[in-house]
Amino acid sequence: MLVTALGVWAQGRPQAPPDPAIERGRAQFGQSCGFCHGPNANGGTHGPSLIRSAVVRHDENGNLIGPVIRDGRPDLGMPPVPLSPNQVSDIVAFVKSRVAAADIRSANRPVQGSGDKLLTGNSAAGKAFFEGAGGCAGCHSPTGDLAGISRKYPAAILQARFLYPQQRRRIVTVTEAGGKQYSGELLALTDYDVSIQDAGGWYRSWPLDSIKLEMKDSLAAHFNLLTKYTDTDMHNMLAYLESLK
Amino acid sequence: MRKLALLLAAGSWLHSQGLDPAALLKPPTNTWPSYNGDYTGRRYSTLSQINKTNVGTLAMAWAFQTHQQSIKSTSLMVNGILYFTVPNHVWAVDARTGRQVWHFQRQSGGNMIGQRGVAMYRDRLYFGTPDAHLICLDARSGKQVWDLEIADYKFGYYISVTPLVVKDRLIMGMSNDQSDIPGFLEARSPEDGKILWHWDAVPKPGEPGSETWPNADTMAHGGGATWIPGSYDPDLNLIYWGTGNPHPVLAGKVRRGANLYTCSIVALNADTGKMAWYFQASPHDTQDRDANESIVLMDADFKGKPRKLLAQASRNGYYFVLDRATGESLLSAEFGPQNWSAGLNSRGEPIPKPDKEPQIAGTLFEGSGTNWWSPSFSPDTKLFYVNAHHHFMVSYLTLDEQNEEKASDHQGGTNTTLWSQSMLLALDYETGKVRWRRDRPAFGGRDASGQGSGILSTAGGLLFTGDGSGDLMALDAATGKTLWHLYPGGNLTGAPMTYELQGRQYVVTAVDSVLYAWALPER
Repeated sequence: MLVTALGVWAQGRPQAPPDPAIERGRAQFGQSCGFCHGPNANGGTHGPSLIRSAVVRHDENGNLIGPVIRDGRPDLGMPPVPLSPNQVSDIVAFVKSRVAAADIRSANRPVQGSGDKLLTGNSAAGKAFFEGAGGCAGCHSPTGDLAGISRKYPAAILQARFLYPQQRRRIVTVTEAGGKQYSGELLALTDYDVSIQDAGGWYRSWPLDSIKLEMKDSLAAHFNLLTKYTDTDMHNMLAYLESLK
Repeated sequence: MRKLALLLAAGSWLHSQGLDPAALLKPPTNTWPSYNGDYTGRRYSTLSQINKTNVGTLAMAWAFQTHQQSIKSTSLMVNGILYFTVPNHVWAVDARTGRQVWHFQRQSGGNMIGQRGVAMYRDRLYFGTPDAHLICLDARSGKQVWDLEIADYKFGYYISVTPLVVKDRLIMGMSNDQSDIPGFLEARSPEDGKILWHWDAVPKPGEPGSETWPNADTMAHGGGATWIPGSYDPDLNLIYWGTGNPHPVLAGKVRRGANLYTCSIVALNADTGKMAWYFQASPHDTQDRDANESIVLMDADFKGKPRKLLAQASRNGYYFVLDRATGESLLSAEFGPQNWSAGLNSRGEPIPKPDKEPQIAGTLFEGSGTNWWSPSFSPDTKLFYVNAHHHFMVSYLTLDEQNEEKASDHQGGTNTTLWSQSMLLALDYETGKVRWRRDRPAFGGRDASGQGSGILSTAGGLLFTGDGSGDLMALDAATGKTLWHLYPGGNLTGAPMTYELQGRQYVVTAVDSVLYAWALPER
């Protein structure tokens, strides 16, 4: 729950090329099996989910799935499906890929499906929030820093970024007991220690109880809004920012 | 005749010098015989050789390097030997010197996320595996006695949880968090692993609780994993166990209803597995808010009356106090901010706001909570200690493109974390009010600490814990003030435990792949 995928997808992780066997299997499955088991193999009107099938989950290279396709399950009303060994092997690859996709352990991952599904808000209402209650116009401008923002990010990433941008750099000032000051990028802050990269590029660290630390939170306005947005405000803001082509 | 048969059956134990189950009824001092040290789950030790006045001189007694993945287990200590685990590995180590006695290894498929330790019954150890087997080992040699499949790991079952020894039974939980399968608890024989009772975390059609599911299919795949060891009251003969989230995880739309007995605290008769009562910490959960966190039993006053209490700081940000004989709700107090609960129902359970369920266009979600990091309760300070966090995220619902009555997959949605911060809280056990707190520095939106740590409190007036920055610390349990701290080279990954051996008190901490023992310097 605490680990975000944002860092990963902001860098634009390249998509792995589709496995041709899975793609052939998807087409073959749709033709030969999907009518009963559903096009995604997760069950249809006549056939059970294959994601939840022990035969599928214990299969090794088609050793269990192959005979079921070839001989059918007459007791359960499934007819034999005459397919070549290659076709069976492609179907096995596809069904296994469906199991792997369904068995997902974490909800922290890129948003699934089309970004258009996120655009349920009202752009004019978003603009009004931006200029009014949100107080966004105090720091940001649709013709300045936000010009063309919708072209830079997919909708889901834009939504996360306007809510709370992941801060890359945070500048702090450390004052030693003798009055000497250092400013630089915060590297780490624990209960007991602080470390920075100073203006000259050097690493420096101090025990917190020996210095005074000044740290400005440039995202305080974003944080304060997190407790004020309604979901409608959030959707409207996204619609407005998406209109800034 | 029956008596003779019993004697013969017990014969194999007669020469043992292992752990008498009666030791589990005593506060841990010269042993730490179970995951939580005793049945109360409070992780409090009466030892006080290491205390507020001298903890500043605490020094390393020894370190044991496993060269394996992070140690998430709590060590047992019996007869001068520590027993601890990571997935597929068990070590026995000299509790005084840190030298290895033996090492058991077994390769397996399945889920390697964590292993919380072995259980001990007389001269045998019990160990759950990533492929959902239960292994019985001879504690003297580490040699395998038997190996039993408990569940089918191809469906995502695995055993990270430590069995709980209750009289002559092993109470076994089960993990499952990657496909839509039901959770359960079982009692098994320590002799041969034979099943003695089985309790399903989700009901069958027609049974009580089934009315909280749309249909038989959703129920049969409803989740409710049991992946943290429970607690036990020997007088009431009840075991208390937390259950995990319903499946599919975020897609509440496809499983309307409270979804009993997921995200619940249940009380079961230790002999029969029959449920005495339940309390649902998160009715109709849609945010993976397992109620698996350790259940702490306290015999203490509540509103001026002595009561048998049970407390849980839950993953949903509520601190619950129940009467553990009846399940009556006494207190449901928020220990952090949230935006998803509309208040409490007549049973003291939170009411989830329907519009704060994950939606396709995204829901802005604020929550607080904790996780498997063991809490602690000190009868001296009367404080309940818990490592917690506060977070904001956007939650998206995803459904199957062909059939919107189904979730897209096991998760049924996506979470994007925006901001989070962690903290250590000391709660008044009776009111849930925060008596002191240590907020970890938040920086860059997410604080440095992605991981919480377990807690130990002692009669020395101390609290031992760690944070996600790798600080290992001993605090004044009354005030939260630091009395000792250092950076041991990684994060505290298992909860601290303590024992006295040959007149010396040790505190043992698991830091990534290394087990450290700390003690006062020898004079």
